[in-house]
Amino acid sequence: MTSLRLILVAWWLQMKMRSRSAFEGVLGVLWPLFFATTIFLMYRQSASGAALIGASVGASAMGVWSATSTTASSALQSERRQGTLELLVAAPASFPMLVFPIALSMTTVGLYSLVATLLWGRVAFGIPITFHDPFGFVCAVAAVVISIALMGFLESVLMVRYRAAWAIGTALELPVWLLCGFLVPLTLLPAWVRPISWALPPTWGAYALRAAALGGSPWLDVLVCMLLGAVFAALATALSHRLVDSARTHATLALQ
Amino acid sequence: MDYAIEADGLVRRYRSRTGVRRTAAKEVLAVDDVSFRVERGELFGLLGPNGAGKTTTIKMLITLLLPTAGRASVLGLDVVRDAREVRRRIGYVFGGDRGLYERLSALDNLRYFAELYGVPAREQRGRIGELLELVGLTGRERERVESYSRGMRQRLHIARGLLHRPEVLFLDEPSIGIDPVGARELRTTVAGLVEAGTTVLLTTHYMFEADELCNRIAVIAGGRIVAHGTPEELKGNVVDASVVEIETFGADVAVLDRARAIPGVISVDTQDSGQAQLLVVRAQLGVEVTRSVLDCLAGLRVGRVAIREPTLEDAYVELVRHA
Amino acid sequence: MSQTTSSLRIFFYGGLTSYRALFNWISPAILVPTFLIEPVFQVLFFVYVGRTAGIGNARFFLIGNAIQFASIPCLFAIANTIAEERRFQTLALLLVSPARRLPLFLGRALPVIVNGFCVAAFTVGVGALLLGVSISAGAWLPLVGVLAVAAFACTGLGMLTAAIALRVRETAVLANIVFGVLLMFCGVNVPLSELPRWMAASAHWLPLTHGIAAARDLAAGHGGAHVSDLVAREAGLGAGYLALGTALLYYFQYEARRHATLEIA
Repeated sequence: MTSLRLILVAWWLQMKMRSRSAFEGVLGVLWPLFFATTIFLMYRQSASGAALIGASVGASAMGVWSATSTTASSALQSERRQGTLELLVAAPASFPMLVFPIALSMTTVGLYSLVATLLWGRVAFGIPITFHDPFGFVCAVAAVVISIALMGFLESVLMVRYRAAWAIGTALELPVWLLCGFLVPLTLLPAWVRPISWALPPTWGAYALRAAALGGSPWLDVLVCMLLGAVFAALATALSHRLVDSARTHATLALQ
Repeated sequence: MDYAIEADGLVRRYRSRTGVRRTAAKEVLAVDDVSFRVERGELFGLLGPNGAGKTTTIKMLITLLLPTAGRASVLGLDVVRDAREVRRRIGYVFGGDRGLYERLSALDNLRYFAELYGVPAREQRGRIGELLELVGLTGRERERVESYSRGMRQRLHIARGLLHRPEVLFLDEPSIGIDPVGARELRTTVAGLVEAGTTVLLTTHYMFEADELCNRIAVIAGGRIVAHGTPEELKGNVVDASVVEIETFGADVAVLDRARAIPGVISVDTQDSGQAQLLVVRAQLGVEVTRSVLDCLAGLRVGRVAIREPTLEDAYVELVRHA
Repeated sequence: MSQTTSSLRIFFYGGLTSYRALFNWISPAILVPTFLIEPVFQVLFFVYVGRTAGIGNARFFLIGNAIQFASIPCLFAIANTIAEERRFQTLALLLVSPARRLPLFLGRALPVIVNGFCVAAFTVGVGALLLGVSISAGAWLPLVGVLAVAAFACTGLGMLTAAIALRVRETAVLANIVFGVLLMFCGVNVPLSELPRWMAASAHWLPLTHGIAAARDLAAGHGGAHVSDLVAREAGLGAGYLALGTALLYYFQYEARRHATLEIA
């Protein structure tokens, strides 16, 4: 299918570009590890066993979002600066199908971070990486990666008109960690926050991760995650069409 | 009649917001009732000074901008309603450094755009190889674009624009910043494309380029078409004059006015080139004005004096001056 | 004009320029997320993680994170000044001027430090409200003092990073790494007693460690000699780093003139 091929080629080339920046690569992995280390140091004072594994898994998911949130918000602006945004719009390929791979490449870098965090937990803190349901875990990871990519996709499209997009993207990093319950159970958060959390696909991905790691079935959570992801995808697609039409009306495709 | 490009009363307004609080929203009329037709297989030139509306017009034709009013169609397809179909059949090449992925190699850039334009997978490799050959980048395709010179980038742009064998190619100031040799190669390539049947719309402010390449030209200034026709027809507007060029130093307004007052003189313009000035005097055919003009310049240093036929540039300056 | 007067003028004019440069591009769209939302959420995040793990209390995390977040900009004020000057290609001009380096760069760092100050104060205030943390009224003024000292200590270390920034171009990576190191080592979220021995030992040589400890004591209502001791150490460290950084800066400049290594443009 040409659409699938398009997404894959676009994703692959975006990965190539991303891998050529030391800043994004090294820092993308290192930054979440700072937080993970702090978290592990906090947890080992009181927790053990399952709680530690839960912390490790949660911290690893945090890294995937970190890799996405800041970069996604200014993704389209950087295309505009390079002068390629116009070319993307002028091409016959559907615009949303070009933006999604950009976000997907960011979450793929986040995948490195996820693995690094789990390994770091094992090596430095002795937190085991034996999972109750390894296959389920891998599927849950895929669900988390794809759903965060879809959130990044939506973020890219929403933020394109704001000059301060990078600032908002950075500010979103920690709130989403909290909202999606990667580490902190939703029951600890104020009640009014929970509906927002449940509406975000990665929340369910995180449930799936913990279930697969600690014992329990991840499949229902994976399903909900993907369904919500599809909703985000539809929303982002519709918004991107509106965005392009608005840009063509107000001539903002080429503005610096 | 099946035209390649039809523009019918195109209008484009910009609203520019001044300041954060949008106190005064200025409206700029960038394109004002532009109409023209380009036939299939033609090389059509859109000539005009900076800010005349050339790029805006092209962007409306390639579906990047929605016209404020008016209609346009490419290959019979409406640029607003059938945007996607139009995009499949056209190529867009613009001058300058931007528009390429710096961190990727030329080859990867072409692969990406090939995918974007739906070049079938099995054809991609061959087509890319062919185009690299055509633009003379074979052997350099694995280098990253960030190391490319302006000329190389321009050539890569052309390769990119041709990947999907477009029926109509839009070139927006393609030879800007290119060295003379590179520009000449570019023109040869473009001429070759037209010979092979591609319709080309070229915007430029290099007169000799338009003169050399284009079958027909439209001159656009201040958002309006001020003239159109073949290069010969446009030159015909000024063929009833001869041009005297005199290199001089320090000719002031008084001197110019005296020159303008000479009977037979149509216009006197100056071009500055460094310290010297080039006085361009258009005079009625048959009237000998050189002696009288030199008399006006008495006391000033005078360099080269030449008498020549009017060129497209003279026609253009005339047209644009009156716009 | 005397040396002192000229240095003072450089200090304040430089500060004013930097202030204008900083706040020229700062709009509410940037200010709100970066200076108001981020630090508060950093506090909230660690408070909740602490609750999940069953350790610490809200005040502990509030003070630690507020001070860490606010002090980091001080660490990079001078390095950023250099990066900006390099970007606008005025660095060479700056360095050939007779202006003394210390007041020059410190002056440029001033608005950033003041800004960090305000951010910390805002974060502690909002955090205390949201989390129901009580801080005795009498503690506020001394807290401000401790904050100033912590900011100074970071600025001192900042002089060192600036000297390095003069030689190396990737200051952004360095900035983020230092943020992380201070987050992990300085007792921001983990008491020194719980850190591995080597980390706790290193922490004593870093800014923020003593400042945060002093601030925590003050917020809890304790005062006295112990706090003064911590503050003195923090100030001492700051001065030490400042001296070292300044010396290194002069050295790099000298070396640059000899070997053309400055990458000034």
